[in-house]
Amino acid sequence: MMKLFRPDSFRPHLLLALGFLLVGIVLVNLVIGDKAASPAHLSTPDIRQEESLPGGSSSIPYRAIASLEIPSPELTDSAKSLFYAGKALAHQPWVKAPTATTARDGLGPLYNARSCLGCHVKGAKGIVPDDPNKPLTNGFVRLSIPGYDPVLGVVPEPTYGDQLQTESTSLANQLGLVLTQTGEGEVKPEAKVFLQWQSYIQIYPDGSAVELRQPKIDIRDLGYGPFHDVTLFSLRNAPAIHGMGLIEAIPQSEIDALADPDDSNNDGISGRVNLVWSPYKDKLIPGRFGHKASKAEIATVVAAAFANDIGISNPIFPQQPCTSKQAACLNSLTGNDDLGYEIPQDLLELVINFTRNISVPKQRSFPIKGRSAFYQSGCQQCHQPQFRTGKDQSFAQLNDQLIWPYSDFLLHDMGDQLADGRSDFDATGNEWRTPPLWGLGLNKQINGSLNLLHDGRARSVEEAILWHGGEATNARTKFMQLAAEERKQLVQFVEAL
Amino acid sequence: MMKLTRIATLVATISMITACGGGSSSSDSASDDQDTGIAINLDNVSKVLETNADIAYAVYSDAVTTAQALKTALTALRVNPTAETLAAAKDAWLVAREPYGQSEVYRFRLSPIDSTDYSSEDGLEGDINAWPLGEALIDYVQVNTTDFGDDQIGVTANDVGINGGGAVNSDNFDNTSPKTNIIGNTSIVIDEDLLSGNLSASDEHDVIAGYHAIEFLLWGQDLNNDTGTTDGTDRDDAVKTRGASNLATGGQRPLSDFEPGYDDETTTYNSSVESDRRHKYLEVVVDKLIADLTSVRDGWAEGSDYRTAFTTITTEAQAKQKLAEILTGMGTLSEGELAGERMQIAFSANSQEDEHSCFSDNTHRDIWLDAEGVSNSYYGEYAGYDSDLDGVDDVITNAVSGYGIDDFLADAGATADASALATALTTTATHYTAIDTAARAGSPFDVQIMTENFNSDSAVYKTIVALNAQANLIADLAESLNIETSVVDDDASACDTSDPTATCD
Repeated sequence: MMKLFRPDSFRPHLLLALGFLLVGIVLVNLVIGDKAASPAHLSTPDIRQEESLPGGSSSIPYRAIASLEIPSPELTDSAKSLFYAGKALAHQPWVKAPTATTARDGLGPLYNARSCLGCHVKGAKGIVPDDPNKPLTNGFVRLSIPGYDPVLGVVPEPTYGDQLQTESTSLANQLGLVLTQTGEGEVKPEAKVFLQWQSYIQIYPDGSAVELRQPKIDIRDLGYGPFHDVTLFSLRNAPAIHGMGLIEAIPQSEIDALADPDDSNNDGISGRVNLVWSPYKDKLIPGRFGHKASKAEIATVVAAAFANDIGISNPIFPQQPCTSKQAACLNSLTGNDDLGYEIPQDLLELVINFTRNISVPKQRSFPIKGRSAFYQSGCQQCHQPQFRTGKDQSFAQLNDQLIWPYSDFLLHDMGDQLADGRSDFDATGNEWRTPPLWGLGLNKQINGSLNLLHDGRARSVEEAILWHGGEATNARTKFMQLAAEERKQLVQFVEAL
Repeated sequence: MMKLTRIATLVATISMITACGGGSSSSDSASDDQDTGIAINLDNVSKVLETNADIAYAVYSDAVTTAQALKTALTALRVNPTAETLAAAKDAWLVAREPYGQSEVYRFRLSPIDSTDYSSEDGLEGDINAWPLGEALIDYVQVNTTDFGDDQIGVTANDVGINGGGAVNSDNFDNTSPKTNIIGNTSIVIDEDLLSGNLSASDEHDVIAGYHAIEFLLWGQDLNNDTGTTDGTDRDDAVKTRGASNLATGGQRPLSDFEPGYDDETTTYNSSVESDRRHKYLEVVVDKLIADLTSVRDGWAEGSDYRTAFTTITTEAQAKQKLAEILTGMGTLSEGELAGERMQIAFSANSQEDEHSCFSDNTHRDIWLDAEGVSNSYYGEYAGYDSDLDGVDDVITNAVSGYGIDDFLADAGATADASALATALTTTATHYTAIDTAARAGSPFDVQIMTENFNSDSAVYKTIVALNAQANLIADLAESLNIETSVVDDDASACDTSDPTATCD
C-alpha cells in the first residue's frame, strides 16, 4: 500500500501534554506558518436551481416534525405500503425467542440494539453519551487483530469477534441492576462500553476559542476474558440512513473518475476506492457504504447489520453472532425458520427496499455567502457536490437523477487525530470515507443528536471541520483563516444542506 | 423549561432561487402553492388547537379511569381467583383499550406521550403500549430447541391442539433452573424498580411493562390452531387454520396460574409461589401504567407547559406549525403506523401472530380505535368510550364536541378539501367496521390475515387502501395550508432566504 502525502501539521495529542494555554499559541503559529495557497480551481460555481433538491425527485419538503424515515414521493401507493412494511421490520423491536410474534423473535443472543431505528433514531445519526457513566447504546466498538481477510476485511478478535455486543438476552442483562447473576445456560453481554472525554481548547488566528473533545473507549465488565494482546478498537456512531438508494445508483465510473490514489494532480488529496467483499457477487468490488466504505451494496449493509447489530440471522449472514469461544451463545434458542433464518429473504428484501427509498430533505435555506466560503475553502474537493445517477437501475425512481450528496465516496487519510489505526479491506487505519452532508443540519431537530464524525466526537459542524487533518489539512486551515462571520456562514451553509 | 421549535418564515427555496436568476421557468409546485393556499385565520386555528387539546385531555382522562378500573378488577382476581374474576379482569383490560386506542393520534408529534419536553423522543409511550412484548422474560412460554421445530401454535405432532390437550402451564415448559423468566425466578423481587431497571423506554431491552404485559399475563400465549398434525418444520404450517375448534379465541391461560391468590400484600404474599408472583407482577405493572397515563394526561391539562406552548399562537407561521403537528399525527398514524407498520406488515410477513393485541385477539379494536382517533381530530369530536364492549360508546362523561379541522376548512371556504377528506374518512370507517364485524363473528384479525383470506376483497386489504388514500389527502391538506414550506429549522433560519444576496447572520 502506498504511503500517502499527508500535510498533517495538526498534532493535538502532543499539544495536549503542553497544556491548554500553550496549545493556543502553538496552533496560532502553525496556522499562520502554514498559509495555504489558493489554487485557481477553488472557484465558486454558479448556483443551480437543482441544488435545493439534493435527492432529485426523491427530495421532500421540510416537515413540521422532522425525520429521515419518510418515503420518497416517487413511490406509488402500493410501493409505499411495502416501504412501511419494511419500516416495521426496521423499527419494531426484535424480541427474545420464542414468542407468539413469530416473525419478530430471534433477538441476539448477543446484540447492540433491538431494532435498526433503535440506533439510527428516526433515520438520523445515533447519540453518543456525554456522561462518562452512561453506557454507549447507539454506537458500538469494532474489534480486530492485525491482518487482512479477503471476505471479512479484518481478522476478528478471537474471542469477541469483530464487533463488541454490549447487550444480551439474559434475564440479568434485561433487568439491569435488579438481577446481577446470569443464569446457567444464559448468555452474558460481551461488555459495557463507556466513553471518557478528553477536551481541550483550539484557538483561531483571530483569537476566538473552541472546545474540542476526543473519546477514550472505556470497556467494562468484559464477559469472556481478556482481549487478544494486540486488539484494535474502533468506536463507531450510527450514521444517518437516508438517500442510500440514490448513492447506490451512482455509476461506479463516476466515483472512479474522482479517485487520485497517487495524488497525481499534487493537490494533497488522494481519494482511494476500497475494494471489498460482495457476498452477492462473490468477489471484491468497490465499496461505498460505511465509515470505511467497506460495504458495496445496501443489501449487504442491511443484512450485516441484522446479523451483527441485532443478532438476526438471515440468508446472507446465516450465523448467530457468537464466536467459537461463546458456548452459551452458540447453544441458545434461535428464532430460525426451517431454512435456518430469523429473518427470511422476503422480509429482508422489505427492509432493504425501505432503506433504498428513504427520501432526502430539500435544502432548507440558501446561505449564499457560506456557499462561497465552502467552495473557496476547498471543501468540495472531497465533499463532491453533485452526481447524476445511472439509467439502468431496476428501480425507476432512482434513475437519471441529479443529486447533491456532497461526498466523493472515496477513502481519504484524515490525519492521526481521527485515525482508528484499524484497517478494513484496503482502507488504512488513517482513512475514512467522505460522509455525505445532505440532511446533516436536520439531525439535531430529528433526535437531538449532533454527534458528527465516525465516533460522534464532534458536537457541531464547526468542531467536525476542526478535526479534519491529513488530506483535509489545507481545507481546515483555510476555514480557520476565515473571519468569524465567514466561518459562521460556511457552517450555516452546511447545516442548510 | 419547554424548548419550542422556533419558527421562521421562509419563501420557498425554489422561488428564491428563481429570484437570483437560476431558473425562471420553474414549475415546481412548491412555488405555485404559495398563491393557492387556504387562508390562515388565527382565531380559527386557535379554536382547532383548543379542541384538539381538550380531546387529548378527555381521552387520556378516560384512559386513566379505565386503567384504575382494571386495577380494581385485578385486585378482585388476586383476592378471589375464579373463572368469573378472571373473565372480569380480561373485560376490564379490553375496556381500558377503548379510550387509549383513540389517543394514539396524538403520537408522532412530540406531544406528551412521545416527549417530555416537546423536542426529545423520551416520552412514556414505550412503557405504556410498546410491542412486541418480551413475553419470554416475563413468564413461561413454549420452549423447544428451535422456534419452529415442535413448538408454536400447535405444530407438534400431537393428536390434539395445544389447548384441546389440556392445561398449558409452567410445568410443561421451561425446565431450566433457575427459570429464566421473572415469574419463575423467585430470587427476583417484583417491584417498581424491576420495571424501571429494565428501561423499557430506552430501546435496548425487551418490553416487560404496559398494557401488553398485562394482556399476556391474563390471556397467555395465543396457541390456538388447527387440531391436525404437521411435521413441525414449516413456518407456513405454523399458522392458524380455519376450522380449528379453538381458532376464534385468544390465549387461554389456565385459572390455575392464578391459584391461589392472596388477600394482603404485606402479610400473605409469598414471593416463592408463582401464582402470587403473577398477581404481584400485575399489580406493579398496572400501578406503573396508571402513573404513566396520569403523567401524559397532565401534560394536556389547562395551564401545563406543553398545552400552553401548543395552544399559544401569535403568528401565522406558528399557526401553521401547530396545524402541521396535528396533521402529522393524523397522517403518520393513518399511513405509516396503522396501514403500514401494523397491517401491511402482518400480511407481508405472513405472520399470523404478528398482530398488535396478539394474546387477547383484540387487534380489530386497535385498528378501529386508532382510525377513530384520526377522525376525532378531524371533526373535533370525541364521543367517549365503550364500557360494555358492544361497539357503542356509552361512557360520555368526558365527550367533547368542539371546533374541528372540518369547521376550520368550512370557514376558510375550502369545501373541496373538506368534502374529499370527509369522504375518505367515511370509506375507512366502512372498512374497519367490516373488520370489527368479522372479528365479532368469529374471525379475529389473525384469521383475517391468513393467506387464504387475504385478497383484494378482504376488509383488511380495503382498510389499508383506504387509510393510505386518507393519508394522501391529509398530506394534500397540509400542502394546501402551505405548511410544508412555511417553516425551517432554527439553525438555518438566520438567513433572510427571500434575498439570496443578503448576509446570513
